[in-house]
Amino acid sequence: METKDQKKHRKKNSGPKAEKKKKRHLQDLQLGDEEDARKRNPKAFAVQSAVRMARSFHRTQDLKTKKHHIPVVDRTPLEPPPIVVVVMGPPKVGKSTLIQCLIRNFTRQKLTEIRGPVTIVSGKKRRLTIIECGCDINMMIDLAKVADLVLMLIDASFGFEMETFEFLNICQVHGFPKIMGVLTHLDSFKYNKQLKKTKKRLKHRFWTEVYPGAKLFYLSGMVHGEYQNQEIHNLGRFITVMKFRPLTWQTSHPYILADRMEDLTNPEDIRTNIKCDRKVSLYGYLRGAHLKNKSQIHMPGVGDFAVSDVSFLPDPCALPEQQKKRCLNEKEKLVYAPLSGVGGVLYDKDAVYVDLGGSHGFQDEVRPTHELVQSLISTHSTIDAKMASSRVTLFSDSKPLGSEDIDNQGQWMPKEEKQMDLKTGRVRRKAIFGDEEDESGDSDEEDDEEMSEGDRLVESSSDDETEEEADAEMTDRCMTGKGVKRQRLEEMEEDLEVDLPAFADSDDDLERSSGEEGEAEEADESSEEEDSPAGGRSLSESQVGDSSKAGLLQTKGLSNSLNLEKATLTTSDSGHCTAEEAFASEDETEESSSLSTEEEGSENEEVIRKKFPKSSPVAGGQRLGSENFIDETSDVEDLLKEEEDYKEENSYSTETSGALKWKEDLSRKAAEAFLRQQQATPNLRKLVYGTVTEDNEEEDGDTREELGGLFRVSQPSRECKHKLDSLDCSRFHVEAPHDWDLEEELYGDFEDLETGDVHKGKPGADTQIEDAEEVKEEIDPSAEESAKKKHLDKKRKLKEMFDAEYDEGESTYFDDLKGEMHKQAQLNRAEFEDQDDEARVQYEGFRPGMYVRIEIENVPCEFVLNFDPHYPIILGGLGNSEGNVGYVQMRLKKHRWYKKILKSRDPIIFSVGWRRFQTIPLYYIEDHNGRQRLLKYTPQHMHCGATFWGPITPQGTGFLAVQSVSGIMPDFRIAATGVVLDLDKSIKIVKKLKLTGFPYKIFKNTSFIKGMFNSALEVAKFEGAVIRTVSGIRGQIKKALRAPEGAFRASFEDKLLMSDIVFMRTWYPVSIPAFYNPVTSLLKPVGEKDTWSGMRTTGQLRLAHGVKLKPNKDSLYKPIVRQKKHFNSVHIPKALQKALPFKNKPKTQAKAGKTPKDRLRPAVIREPHERKILALLDALSTVHSQKMKKAKEQRHLHNKEHFKVKQKEEEEKLKRQKDLRKKLFRIQGQKERRNQKASLKGPEEPSK
Amino acid sequence: MATQAHCLSYAGCNFLRQRLVLSTLSGRPVKIRKIRARDDNPGLRDFEASFIRLLDKITNGSRIEINQTGTTLYYQPGLLYGGSVEHDCNVLRSIGYYLESLLCLAPFMKHPLRIVLRGVTHDQVDPSVDVLKATALPLLKQFGIDGESFELKVVRRGMPPGGGGEVLFSCPVRKVLRPVQLTDPGKIRRIRGTAYSVRVSPQMANRVVDSARSILNKFIPDIYIYTDHMKGVNSGKSPGFGLSLVAETTNGTFLSAELASNPQGQGAAVLPEDLGRNCAKLLLEEIYRGGCVDSTNQSLALLLMTLGQQDVSKVLLGPLSPYTIEFLRHLKSFFQIMFKIETKPCGEELKGGDKVLMTCVGIGFSNLSKTLK
Repeated sequence: METKDQKKHRKKNSGPKAEKKKKRHLQDLQLGDEEDARKRNPKAFAVQSAVRMARSFHRTQDLKTKKHHIPVVDRTPLEPPPIVVVVMGPPKVGKSTLIQCLIRNFTRQKLTEIRGPVTIVSGKKRRLTIIECGCDINMMIDLAKVADLVLMLIDASFGFEMETFEFLNICQVHGFPKIMGVLTHLDSFKYNKQLKKTKKRLKHRFWTEVYPGAKLFYLSGMVHGEYQNQEIHNLGRFITVMKFRPLTWQTSHPYILADRMEDLTNPEDIRTNIKCDRKVSLYGYLRGAHLKNKSQIHMPGVGDFAVSDVSFLPDPCALPEQQKKRCLNEKEKLVYAPLSGVGGVLYDKDAVYVDLGGSHGFQDEVRPTHELVQSLISTHSTIDAKMASSRVTLFSDSKPLGSEDIDNQGQWMPKEEKQMDLKTGRVRRKAIFGDEEDESGDSDEEDDEEMSEGDRLVESSSDDETEEEADAEMTDRCMTGKGVKRQRLEEMEEDLEVDLPAFADSDDDLERSSGEEGEAEEADESSEEEDSPAGGRSLSESQVGDSSKAGLLQTKGLSNSLNLEKATLTTSDSGHCTAEEAFASEDETEESSSLSTEEEGSENEEVIRKKFPKSSPVAGGQRLGSENFIDETSDVEDLLKEEEDYKEENSYSTETSGALKWKEDLSRKAAEAFLRQQQATPNLRKLVYGTVTEDNEEEDGDTREELGGLFRVSQPSRECKHKLDSLDCSRFHVEAPHDWDLEEELYGDFEDLETGDVHKGKPGADTQIEDAEEVKEEIDPSAEESAKKKHLDKKRKLKEMFDAEYDEGESTYFDDLKGEMHKQAQLNRAEFEDQDDEARVQYEGFRPGMYVRIEIENVPCEFVLNFDPHYPIILGGLGNSEGNVGYVQMRLKKHRWYKKILKSRDPIIFSVGWRRFQTIPLYYIEDHNGRQRLLKYTPQHMHCGATFWGPITPQGTGFLAVQSVSGIMPDFRIAATGVVLDLDKSIKIVKKLKLTGFPYKIFKNTSFIKGMFNSALEVAKFEGAVIRTVSGIRGQIKKALRAPEGAFRASFEDKLLMSDIVFMRTWYPVSIPAFYNPVTSLLKPVGEKDTWSGMRTTGQLRLAHGVKLKPNKDSLYKPIVRQKKHFNSVHIPKALQKALPFKNKPKTQAKAGKTPKDRLRPAVIREPHERKILALLDALSTVHSQKMKKAKEQRHLHNKEHFKVKQKEEEEKLKRQKDLRKKLFRIQGQKERRNQKASLKGPEEPSK
Repeated sequence: MATQAHCLSYAGCNFLRQRLVLSTLSGRPVKIRKIRARDDNPGLRDFEASFIRLLDKITNGSRIEINQTGTTLYYQPGLLYGGSVEHDCNVLRSIGYYLESLLCLAPFMKHPLRIVLRGVTHDQVDPSVDVLKATALPLLKQFGIDGESFELKVVRRGMPPGGGGEVLFSCPVRKVLRPVQLTDPGKIRRIRGTAYSVRVSPQMANRVVDSARSILNKFIPDIYIYTDHMKGVNSGKSPGFGLSLVAETTNGTFLSAELASNPQGQGAAVLPEDLGRNCAKLLLEEIYRGGCVDSTNQSLALLLMTLGQQDVSKVLLGPLSPYTIEFLRHLKSFFQIMFKIETKPCGEELKGGDKVLMTCVGIGFSNLSKTLK
């Protein structure tokens, strides 16, 4: 029995094992594998046909190039923002459970309630922001635009649902992020086979939608209400290692998925008017492109806003510091989700956020954290309300937190401190605090500004000694470095004081001399004035006045340094004010407060310096030294300084005629050059971008201030006004030219290319002056040598080119392009790498990956009141002029799954770019000649054009349209998709128009036509236009007629009939209603956010109000009644008739007319006797005829019989004759045969 | 839409062109108040009105509002349209005044621009057509604006005050610009120039050439100055002569200088010899200032860098002209872009005057007018 049970070994017939065996077998037989086949039978692999070879080569090349993508510059930041993972699926499919499991997998933390995005650290180099997406189409559209990865949950027990397909379509339109399917509810299958089948079916369907081979994940079942750990772990691994391709829209626009929102509105305003517009701050990681301050943004569901302020914060969920470990430390497994109440402690301008201390906070013990958190959150809000006293209350509150808080501090505080350093102190923050309060509270802005500026000034100069100005609250800001600086300053001042008598005169001289000659140059540098000759006179006047004032000041400065400082202080202040007046106000507003403090400080210094001319290099060096110590104030230089430099330079150059003086200053000049080298960078930057002040203006302010004391008199300066209206010219005039006759070799700028000689500039000033002839002499002997060298060079170059062509033949155009892009990417990375964030932000904007805080003003109050954290808040940055509106032309196709066709002028909701909005499109189709003809409805299976009036979005942007975003419809909701083609401010869509008229007078080919136009002017516009009659006679409009208004003369190719209708085909431009209505779904109350409804279509309105359509009577169908057509007879002219042959002549026999009376025969009236005779004769003749008739019939019958008999006889006779003949012929034949036989036999017989 | 919020406001008529051009490119409306408000003859001048009219011609959907006295101008830009345009420029300013702005706008039109400008081709205030042709066009080529139809042709020369010149400018359309790295100006390779004379003796041009060469020959032998004497209808309505010089470096940088004679009936007659010599000196001065871009085209280069992709562009300039400095400020207010400005003092590598290295990251501008097919 047992032996029977054993299975017999079965040989493998397929699979790797069998193949291996087969191969071995073949090798044993010396047949070898494929490679050998080539060797074995080379003829089989030889080139049979060159054409086919070329084709196959071409095809492989095609396939190869198809795989190429256009190389783009890699702009991903070094520390990328977290990847946005959107978990999408129909309700009850297990989205929240999956998110919870994923978070638990990565952070070992369990979040009970998830609201809004959750950011977690998933690996050493990757963070994830996970967000759930419900079935509201608004949310689906918004999230598809920001998603990097979509986890598409599918209920396997049910199959695909409409939402899944809708979301896939939305994704396709908006750039197609990575999509990974996740099948859930697999445990509801009882039979394995059914499960397998379902899996396979769903997988293939998924592949057709996404791409063949798209990853589909299976979550087999739940354990205690959660997915299996191993499966979640695997899913997490997949997410962490996934690679992404940049999407065009996302990489070209900055955007933020906000994970936190604070209301910053003044509580007083809210109290007085609860519906007042709010000021909010939103937080989140910046993604996509660089964000510039003050730029336009769009919040889908809310509207367009201008960013009022952006600042970057320390990363709340930072990647771990670089270390050589394979996996993350427990402490580094962070989670950050402020909307769900998870995160660390975060300080920023207006709020303190305290929460669970990350993962490690949980580990040590199970505490009633939840209550604690709740209490903290509540305190946070109160703090927010108070705002001003935030720090104090925080620390008093946070004390009971104990160890957890300490942990948090360890985590968050250092960063906070770092931030302070970057921002040049946190007082600035506080100042803004004050500003904000001031702005909201007081209306008098100027006073406040002055106050704050004064404070800042004191701050930056950090005067301990000036007690009258030092505020008590500010004194703690004094740093050690600044103390040092102060000392240095004092030293310097002393030095300068000593030096002053020696150089003060020269300085004055310089100023005076340059007052006339170098003033325009100075104007150039300061850029406040314009160098027009007309303005020169007034300028010089002011200059002289200024210099004298400066002199006055200097004496004052000598007498009392403190006084001087005071003066400079006020000077800079007033200068600031005038600059504000002179320049557009936005300059000032854009200026960050830190910058302004810096400037104030530096201005201070500069003014001091200006008083004491910096002539000795020693002093300069010392200043340099001091500047190295001073961190911020010294690196920002003032324009005055440079101006002076230039002035001096100019004075030298202009005074070259007195060459001695010029030579005197050489050493000094060298020193200055060195100085400039050190200082000019920030100097120039400040000159261009800083609150630009001019020395003369300042000095004006000075004197005024000196005199006025307390009062600040703001007089519009004459320079300023002059500048405003001066000549608009781009030429940069040379004010003080070098004397090129003398010093032509001074700078050795030239290289003689013909000879290849490089003439280096002579470094020493003494050897600068050379004669041109000398140079030529120098050239001549070296000419031959250089020619030789040139020849060699040329040869080498040729060789290089040859080598490049033949050795590195690999480098294709594609490779070159890629290399170029790579180079650019490296340059982009390297350019600002070494700068600190504060400076970097100014140059390139806020870079993606930063955690930023964005302030927005004038947000509708409903946004705050109806805030629902489940809905994503996206801040999408807009490019230039993307905030404008115009006509947008698109290529549109009705979605093949959408049941209805779309009608022109029906409002529809588009999702283009960041926006969702309702608008009224017109559909059109382009004719062969480029005419855009209006369509009433979209074609069913064809592309058509669509134009609407709405926000301008770059060409090539995809869009989708839905009829409504409210409620849930059973059918597919996406009505149309397409792409933006063109943007314009006018449209050219036309519809057909037929004008009809009637002839009222007809000549030969000319007719007068009326009823087509109303006036002669209208006719004049259409002169030469083609017209046509219904019967097809073509013609042309000639000229207007006087008599009936609007009648005209027209010529036709044939004569018209009066019954003809003349018509003209024209095209009439249609206009689009300027209707643009953003979908403000986020402003709806909580729970009703998916009920936004905009303008209704006429069809919907008619249905709602029960209004029936009244059709036009002319459009109704009626039975067609055709009138009988009467044709006139053809008239043939007499002449023609005559010429016609008789056959064709009209046979018009005259009708038998009435016979004349004389011809009429009289009636015969018979007598009765005669009548009897006639009757008898009639009767007799009738009898006779009857007799004859009978006889005839009889004869006929007789004849017939006779004929028959005769025929019979004849037949018999014929038969007989035939028989006879037959007999005869037979006899004859026999006889003949006999004869023949006899003739044949004859000779034989005798032989026998 | 937040149109009112992002409207920019300025005072005074200075830098009018910059403001209007940047407004057109950025799509932000601009309001200019107090245009010569305190002047005896307040309001916009004819040449400014002509410029505004030109802008209206090349755009579609622009809204221009000027108040009664002409002291306030509101400009809401439309989309750049282009196509074939003709414009009669006012004779108060030369064609260069108009052409400078057109050079900024032309690459971003819907249809390639082909414009005929009539008026004064050379005067003493603005860069002349010859100079722009020699310097601005190669500069645009560096940014990837190139093609057969990219040309600037002087058909007729016209001198102030009569004018009568004609210029044909055509420019292809681009969707995006290339970032540039122009940091090495190279050495001067050759000097070219044009000496023109209209309605004066043809000998004038030759005299100008001789005197200019007398200065320049000391430095470089490769000099060629064309003499261009226009006759008849091509010579405009007023007499005059002038010289424009262009120095080309080994790295393809063009630096220029020019001078023109005084207009008829204004100022003293200028000797051709003086003019030639002075112009040569101006060229030397320009070379001394140096940089990779001519001083007149600084702002054009900076604008094109700003409008590039989101990549780093660099350019080395000579000292910034006041016009450029104001332009930088305007760039900041219109595009929120700040340049990194580094001063490079003259030393071993850089000769001549101090140079300024300007670095910026482009704003990722794309031509919104161009139709997608």
